[in-house]
Amino acid sequence: MIKLLATVKKEILLLIRDKVGLSILFLMPMVLIFVMTLIQDSAFKTMNEKGIPIVFVNNDNDSLGILIEAGLRNNDLCTFHDSIDGKPATVELALKAVGEGKFLVGIIIPKGATEAIRKNVAELVSETMNGEDSAVQKLNQLQDSVEITIMIDPVAKKSFLISVTSSLREFISEVKTRIMFQTFSDQIAEVIPDKQNAPKNSYKKSQIIKYKEIYASKSEDKIVPNAVQHNVPAWTIFAMFFIAIPLSGSILKEKNEGSVFRLLTMPTPYLLLVNGKIIVYVMVCLIQFALMLSVGQIFLPMFGLPALVLGNSLAGIFILALATSFAATGYGVMVGTLAATEHQAAIMGSLSILLLSALGGIWVPSYVMPEVMRNISAWSPLNWSLEGFYKLFLRGGHVTDILLDAFKLMAFFFATMYISYLYNRKKRTV
Amino acid sequence: MNDPVIIEIQNLTKTFKGATEPAVDGISFSINRNEIFGLLGPNGAGKTTTISILCGLFPPTSGRVLIDGKDLHTELSSIKNMIGIVPQDIALYPTLSARENLAFYGSMYGLHGKDLKDKIENWLQKLGLIDAAKRQVSTYSGGMKRRVNLIAGVLHDPKILFLDEPTVGVDVQSRNVIIDHLKEINALGTTIIYTSHHMEEAEHFCTRVSIIDHGKILIQGTPSELISNNAGSINLENVFLNLTNRKLRD
Repeated sequence: MIKLLATVKKEILLLIRDKVGLSILFLMPMVLIFVMTLIQDSAFKTMNEKGIPIVFVNNDNDSLGILIEAGLRNNDLCTFHDSIDGKPATVELALKAVGEGKFLVGIIIPKGATEAIRKNVAELVSETMNGEDSAVQKLNQLQDSVEITIMIDPVAKKSFLISVTSSLREFISEVKTRIMFQTFSDQIAEVIPDKQNAPKNSYKKSQIIKYKEIYASKSEDKIVPNAVQHNVPAWTIFAMFFIAIPLSGSILKEKNEGSVFRLLTMPTPYLLLVNGKIIVYVMVCLIQFALMLSVGQIFLPMFGLPALVLGNSLAGIFILALATSFAATGYGVMVGTLAATEHQAAIMGSLSILLLSALGGIWVPSYVMPEVMRNISAWSPLNWSLEGFYKLFLRGGHVTDILLDAFKLMAFFFATMYISYLYNRKKRTV
Repeated sequence: MNDPVIIEIQNLTKTFKGATEPAVDGISFSINRNEIFGLLGPNGAGKTTTISILCGLFPPTSGRVLIDGKDLHTELSSIKNMIGIVPQDIALYPTLSARENLAFYGSMYGLHGKDLKDKIENWLQKLGLIDAAKRQVSTYSGGMKRRVNLIAGVLHDPKILFLDEPTVGVDVQSRNVIIDHLKEINALGTTIIYTSHHMEEAEHFCTRVSIIDHGKILIQGTPSELISNNAGSINLENVFLNLTNRKLRD
């Protein structure tokens, strides 16, 4: 026990004296969380608050154009522009400006669009009243007869554009339908003797289908998925695994500075010396974790971001954080054992963690990965940890929900220790 | 009464994996209690391999080693308690102070509390390091580091002390202090096994030497015996060069 305490004390002293190492361990991850969360949140905020820059060319100058323009002007999704560099927007200017990236989307309402709708609806009503069979067919043709052009900046990401353009399509379609309905009502009113009973603007009042979005969380608290809830656990895990670099560096320093030579001749098992390192670095990981949570709960809200909601299970968080710390520390011991030099360990450690984090869904969520990558992702310890934290932070899970993830992380720790043991044994049987 | 022999080596051979020649080739010799035994030889002669086996760093390919009557193969952990090593490289943590380094290494030998503290202070005082004891080792001169390196190997009063080039790269003053204290340790009952390229130092320091080359022992005896038995030799360096020839070694 005295030997273990002495080893722990020595590791703490070495760590405290290594100012660069300390900044890598504590400061860099906090900065990383700040930057990544602020960037992602502000990107969403910019789109949500400031809106997507849209240029609008209204060649219709009638109901359809006016309604869409009014709608876009009042829509939070976009910032409305109907002029480009001080000149009224034309099709050519809009195409050029969108192509140059000045606007993300351009919308062109063709000349006579409203008139075309009215004319088509009038014909439709007349045919319906006369009982002609071609009425339904005519309705389909009508929807194609007015062509609204949506121009898109080719640089914009496809996934983003899909959500933007589908919202726009939905909105334009609603306006079109409203005009059609209004025209339809007017036409019917013409043929109904009692005009008092004719339907007027009833479309506006009616909303046939309503949508309600809820998050399928077990939590009694309202956990809203946002950049903080996603980023804080993801980058915390990433930073915890980056402990492999200072830890492997410390193992290799001991080898290179000759301390291991002396230590191996002493009546102290090598495992005890490694255990001393593990204890200290697991503690470091847990401190890192606590600091990172404090960033999410205290510091990020100071920058106008939502506070991190921890969910229902503090015990679950502790168990998972501890298992992640062991997995990260075991990985560091393995890298330090397998690498021959500090330089090798730094490259091996950082690249492998980047790879494991990419596979683990830290950078891109694993659910958007192709199936093959998703299957590989399920083998990354960072993914086990991330999934566990998502269960706690987003789905309101409890201890029982994360036990399997914690078990897998501990199994990973024991596997890395066993590999290190085998490699050391092989090296000593020279 | 104790057996006068403290280390007995019988047909010790070590062939490293992939090597065509053995690094140590069937050597046998014994070292008596309280001797200062010099293991001398050019680079690649097999000195460090022999000492590494005796310290239990790796096992021999064949042969037997008895240390204080205990078999190295079967009783390594109890043997480790009685040996100390001062490696050629400075095996210290540069960012720890001398005191912190010594406290850690002393603890690894099972020392603790007042006993450990007193031993550290006593040695720091003896080797003139007490004023610098709080400073990080990285700020020390080469001679100061060598002295701390020595203390780390002797703090637990080992029965047997292995010294691998203990005075390499230090000034004359530090060398004298180190040699004087090694003699003092020896006088208190510690057997010393010493390797060096410094023949003059070995000649005056060792009670008996063995010259080794290509993994075999070439000659063994007291320095004066070796000099007188080798015609034309006036010192140990002459004997060494005559036996190992003057060709450069890698």
